[in-house]
Order: sequence, then C-alpha cells, then structure tokens
Amino acid sequence: MGLTKRKEIKSIDKDERKQKRDFEGLVSQLSNLDPQVRRWAVKDLSEFGHEASSILSKQLLEEADKSVREAILTSMLHIADPTAVETLVQCLRSENASLRNEAIEVLKNLPDQVAPLMSNLLHDKDGDVRIFAVNILETLRHPKVEDLLIEVIEKDPNVNVCATAVELLAEVGTEQSLPALRRLKDRFPEEPYILFAVDLALKRIQGG
Amino acid sequence: MILAPNVTMSISEEDFQKFREFFYRKTGIRFEDTKRYFVDKRLIDRMQATGFADFRSYFNFMRFQANGEEMQQLINIMTVNETYFFREEHQLKCLALSILPEVVKKKPAGSLIRIWSIPSSSGEEPYSIAIYLLEYCPLVQEWDIEIIGSDIDTGMLQKAKEGIYSPRSVQHIPPSLLKKYFRKLSEDRYQISEELRRCIEFTRVNLNDSTDTKQYRNFDVIFCRNLLIYFDDLSRRQAADVFYDALLPGGYILLGHSESMSRISPLFKVCKFPEAIVYKKPEGMTP
Repeated sequence: MGLTKRKEIKSIDKDERKQKRDFEGLVSQLSNLDPQVRRWAVKDLSEFGHEASSILSKQLLEEADKSVREAILTSMLHIADPTAVETLVQCLRSENASLRNEAIEVLKNLPDQVAPLMSNLLHDKDGDVRIFAVNILETLRHPKVEDLLIEVIEKDPNVNVCATAVELLAEVGTEQSLPALRRLKDRFPEEPYILFAVDLALKRIQGG
Repeated sequence: MILAPNVTMSISEEDFQKFREFFYRKTGIRFEDTKRYFVDKRLIDRMQATGFADFRSYFNFMRFQANGEEMQQLINIMTVNETYFFREEHQLKCLALSILPEVVKKKPAGSLIRIWSIPSSSGEEPYSIAIYLLEYCPLVQEWDIEIIGSDIDTGMLQKAKEGIYSPRSVQHIPPSLLKKYFRKLSEDRYQISEELRRCIEFTRVNLNDSTDTKQYRNFDVIFCRNLLIYFDDLSRRQAADVFYDALLPGGYILLGHSESMSRISPLFKVCKFPEAIVYKKPEGMTP
C-alpha cells in the first residue's frame, strides 16, 4: 500500500461512453434515463453551436436534473444566440425557482445580448418578472443601467419592483438619480420600507 | 528572416485585442487591459525568437503551425507559475485528517484513492500532497493512493518531472522533511527524491479543451488552487463542469483561498471541516 502510479498511463482513462456522437445520436441521448448520459450529450451538442440551440433550449425547459440543467446553461452561455437568450428570458416565468435563479445568473453574464431586451422586461405585465429584471441589472455591466433604474422608480406602479430598484441604485447610483429618488418618496408616502431605502440610497450616493 | 538589431517592435491596440481574443478562446484565460505590458513584452520576445518583424506574420505563423509548438511556447510564457511547497498547508492537513477518512468510508476495500492536482505548475503541489500523506495520513498504510499532476505548460511539466527547486520554494518545509525527501544538489538547488518523482504522473491538460479533459474521470479529490481567478465567468463555469464530471460522487474539490465554488456553480455542496472549507460533489443529484 502507499503512493502508486499506473504503468500504462498514456491516456488517464479511456473514454467510457460507447454511444453515437453524431448530432441525431446526441439528440436521442437527451431522452436517456441516466442523467449522466444526458449531461454528456448536452456537452457534446454544445460544440455544434447555433445548430444545437433550439434543442438545448427545449431540453432546458423540460429537464428535471440539476446537473444536466447546469450543463445546458453553460452551453447556452457559450452559444449565446437569440434562441438561447429568449429561452433564458422565458425561464424567468417558470414556476421552478431553481431554474429561474439559474437563468438569472446566466443572463447576468450576457450584457450585450440582454441589454436590448431590458426595456421590455422592465415593462413586463408580471411584477415578479420586473423584479427579476432588476436583479439582472445588478451585475449587468452596461452603461445604461442607471438610466433604466431611474425609469423604474419613476414609472413602475409596483412597490416591490421599486424597492428592488432603489436597493440597486444605492450601490450604483450617481447624482443623476437623486431627483427621481426624492420623487419616489412622494409616490409611496405610506410605505415605510421605501422611505427607509430611499433615505439610505440618498445618503450613500451623496456620501460617496 | 534575420532582423537588424535596431528594429523596434511594437504591438498595436488592434493586435493586442486580436491576440487576447484568440488566447482566450484557446485557453479560457483573458488578459485585462492592465496586463497589456505583460502580454506585449512576451509577444515581442516570441516574435524575436522566431524571427518575425511584425505581429501579423507572427500571428499567422503561430495560428497555422501544424504541430502547435509555437502556441505551446506562448502558453508557457503567458501563464503564471508562482508557487511553493506546503502552500496553504491547512488544506493539506484537511486532506490527510478529514477528507480522506471520509472518502474511504464509502470505498470498497482494496480500491484506489485518486487525487488530481491541476494546475500542478512545477510540481510543488502534488509533491506536497505526497509528502503530507506519507507523513501525516495513516491511511497510506492501508490504501493505494494515486496522484496525478496536470498543467497546460509543458515547460513546467518538465520541471516537475525533474523536481529541482530553489531554497525559496522549499522554505516552508520542516527541516526534517527537507532532509528526508530532498537531496541538496548545491547551495541553491534541492531535488526531490527519486522515489517521489516515480510516484507521481504529470500530464499536459488544457482545461478549456474538452478533448483533453474528457479523459479525466473517477477522482476522489481535486486540488485546483489559484487558477480560476484568471478565468472569466464562462470559463469558470466550464471548468466547474469539468471538475464535476471528473469527480466521483461524494468527491471533493479544494480551491484557492480567494476562490469560491458557490459563486461559480450550484452543483457542489460546501463542506466545513475543522481545517478548511472545501466543496463536495453530492452523492446523488436532485432537481
């Protein structure tokens, strides 16, 4: 017993998979009952790029195993075409909280693709989707983030959406946000959290 | 092509961007603007070494060279390899006293414990693991343990195989262990024992290349310290995916002190041992 080294190492381990890796073969493996087979199929399909985007999108919405979903999300981040982005946005409406949060994390890493969609997301009829959109803005390194947040706190009727936006403005806001923040207090005079959050944001922006 | 000694070479902004994108696609490593001087200097060194007067010609030569030798040279000089023996010793202690005892609980008797050190750089980490286990882990007497060190830099792999180190590199090793496992070649050179050199396999792996990484499976423990900090978000996620597939269910991964798997991938569970916080691949994945 002790430290050991295998003598025949040329490759560390032979590839253990024996199934077909052409496009159709990989697509059919997405229905395999073993999550590991599905995960490897996703990783191989990812190398087909845009061609695999639709099929991976469909799989993401149906996939129950977290490890397979994670592989799909990484692939979509890699492919980053309109189909992939549209599917990720669609996940924001999912009842599955894990999928929703996973999609938000990926969207945060696609600033150029997501920025043009932000305006629509921030005007979505579903308040939760608008909150998720503000969450995405949090790390979306994009020059228009502050403008978009100002628009939210000036126009959005939902107090929770505005509160989320104010929290973010406290971190990224500049002097430009001050008038809109002050006006927000007038829009929600009965909401103590808004009054508190706005005061905090004003203090941080003016102090920093 | 022979260059006149007074030729002044330079890398334009456009060249830098072009090279940065190319290098990122190949390795997952992205150079920030603040690294411009570092990159320019090394590119110019390689242009001089290969006899090209302008970036465009050198770039084309490097990209389309059939054996990829120049690309490997570039990888070797562009990657950072600063390390030393017994770095972040608490993690080695954690491996010996907490992780491996957990690992063997579920392993069939007589099976192999497998540890992957990536990037292994010039070998300090995998050799440190080996010394630590031999000295402080009683399980070594009962189990076979395999340690594999991998790196993208072939120059570093060669150094690892030779196992010759500076006094600075070995300064944190207790004198008794230095005497036991090293041979002093001269005042400023120590060579690790032949027995240890024979025990560890060193292999070339590009974490960003799935053809390379698909072969790495069935590990119980992975050390990947201070590498992911050089990657962007996408490359970090891809690396986490590679590690997930390389680990056995219930296997562990140790990262550098400033790195956190929780910020990269939701697939691993945080494990708090008395000596260190590490990450674990769950036994069974749930939705």
